[in-house]
Amino acid sequence: MTTDGEVPPAPEAILMGAELAAGHDGQAEMVLRIRYPNGVVGSVLLDAAAGYALMRNCNIDSLDGLAGQSWRKILEGV
Amino acid sequence: MYDLIIRNGLVVDGEGEAGVHADVAVQDGKIAMIGAVTGETRRTIDATGRIVAPGFIDPHTHFDAQLLWDGQARPALEHGVTSVIPGNCSLSLAPLRAADRDIVVGMFQQIEEMPPEAFTKKYAKWTWEDFAGYCAAIEPGLAINVAPLVGHSVIRLWVMGADAQQRAATGAEIAAMQALLRQCLRDGAIGLSTSFVDMDAKGHPVPSRFAEFKELDALCQVLGEEGGRMLQVVPEFYDADITIARIDQLAELSLAHNIPTTFSPVFDSAATPHSAPRILARVAEQFARGARVWPQMQTRPIDISFSLLNPSLYLARLPRWVRILRQPLEQRIAALEDAETRKTMIADCGPDGGEALFGNLVVRGGDKAPAAYAGRRLGDIARERGEGAAEAVLNISREGGLDVAFLAANGGHHATDRIGPMLANPLVHIGASDGGAHLASFSTYGDTGYLFSEFVRKSGDFTLEQAVKKITADTADIWGLKDRGRLKPGLAADIVVFDADTIARLEERPVYDLPGDGMRYIRSATGVDVVVVNGAVAYADGAYTEARSGAICR
Repeated sequence: MTTDGEVPPAPEAILMGAELAAGHDGQAEMVLRIRYPNGVVGSVLLDAAAGYALMRNCNIDSLDGLAGQSWRKILEGV
Repeated sequence: MYDLIIRNGLVVDGEGEAGVHADVAVQDGKIAMIGAVTGETRRTIDATGRIVAPGFIDPHTHFDAQLLWDGQARPALEHGVTSVIPGNCSLSLAPLRAADRDIVVGMFQQIEEMPPEAFTKKYAKWTWEDFAGYCAAIEPGLAINVAPLVGHSVIRLWVMGADAQQRAATGAEIAAMQALLRQCLRDGAIGLSTSFVDMDAKGHPVPSRFAEFKELDALCQVLGEEGGRMLQVVPEFYDADITIARIDQLAELSLAHNIPTTFSPVFDSAATPHSAPRILARVAEQFARGARVWPQMQTRPIDISFSLLNPSLYLARLPRWVRILRQPLEQRIAALEDAETRKTMIADCGPDGGEALFGNLVVRGGDKAPAAYAGRRLGDIARERGEGAAEAVLNISREGGLDVAFLAANGGHHATDRIGPMLANPLVHIGASDGGAHLASFSTYGDTGYLFSEFVRKSGDFTLEQAVKKITADTADIWGLKDRGRLKPGLAADIVVFDADTIARLEERPVYDLPGDGMRYIRSATGVDVVVVNGAVAYADGAYTEARSGAICR
């Protein structure tokens, strides 16, 4: 994990954005960057089903709309 | 009289030293002499201008089922691979009670994408239940050497039955697993494999994932007592932090029981650029403590495949595509039939009509793609059709009932300037090919050829001799294969003759050679002239021979 001192602390973990990555099985996967209240930034990997569910939960139609969303939206997709 | 003399080649013996021009003589399946060989021989191969090296060893395969009807493990052999290690990731086909076959077959179908026909009695005679029986079933037909792992999941299933996928084991059950593992090792298993991530056909965790640490520790005790055998592990490779925790766990097992351990896969990705370096740094720390924790890294890049039939995140930055693709299939097809909808989707892809986004995709064969398009660049096809690239993706997909796959080559693990130095790290084990698995998703063959074409000839991260050592002697040493991996008198005559200037993997293509005419993707080899297994020529001049000289590596 890394720390990011430029983003002010949030009361809960928030999504900072996402990148696409190539998965072991040859499918595209979503690498989510999550910033925790203590400033630590970690990553979570989602497959297509979970990734699309997250986007639906966030009511967005593009990966680029994930920044700033609550981490709790991931749980709604599980 | 010798059985075979390979004359005039540059002998690269697997030790990493500079090659020497010499002849190699073979007798009774062993290397008899290296040097200026005189004397009579039954067969001579002229290797002038060629490299003569030990046969390559592939340490991570899933050929367990394929070996029942294809003892050549095609196309691994033609790439110069003379020994394979199946039984990885907690799964092997023995020991396996008849009553449990359907459960394990389901796991193989889920993980390897092997068609169900492969497990019918036409192909799998099911003459065995125990490990010795499986080895006896495959060995007569082998043209390639096999050093099989026994899977933790099937050991658990044998001892615990259905409870293997429900709970931790009792002390008595752990003791029974220890006894069973010991017997498997004595019957031909080279080590034990386990998995912390795999799922069965029903989406349930495989049995090994229900084991407590004390169970794994007890099994590793047996690996130690039986001569320091290998433990192979699939960790939570998608998360660097958990993988590092597993490295520490493996190190403790290695030190406690004096065993080697290996884990796979390790990928490098632009999305997580710190992960692989952090993992390799932890490996170095554990080696410094005396532990043996070998990370396996594949040479080949990862290609991303997608179709409009199964929504892919590959398209997740195109809002209108996302809105359409997450609709149920019937509505999705209807939406794509609407010209105005397609027009707006194409507009999403930029003023170049999607050329930058899609132009370099390759249309894959093996599904409803027209044969004339398979294997070709989408941008070229689009121009032929008088369409833009995005328009071509939509229309070709519609014409194939959406069952047309597109390939984005080099989607990950593809930055040669990063991968090369990692592969060259002496603590990195080249492996993780997954040969015999992911059959309908991508080709798992040709990683050895890619090592030479990309990292010897193109990037120069390896000398030829270093590359040969990495996939021969190093692999044999890591796995304890004492009579393989080197060209030395007295050792097994596993030999590959190849052209250093051209050895490579060819383009991926679909073939229909699985039981029931099932489809899989493969890559053929180029630059490999002759492959010798235990002294017999198993592949020469582009053709497989009738030789069945492979053996279980005991």
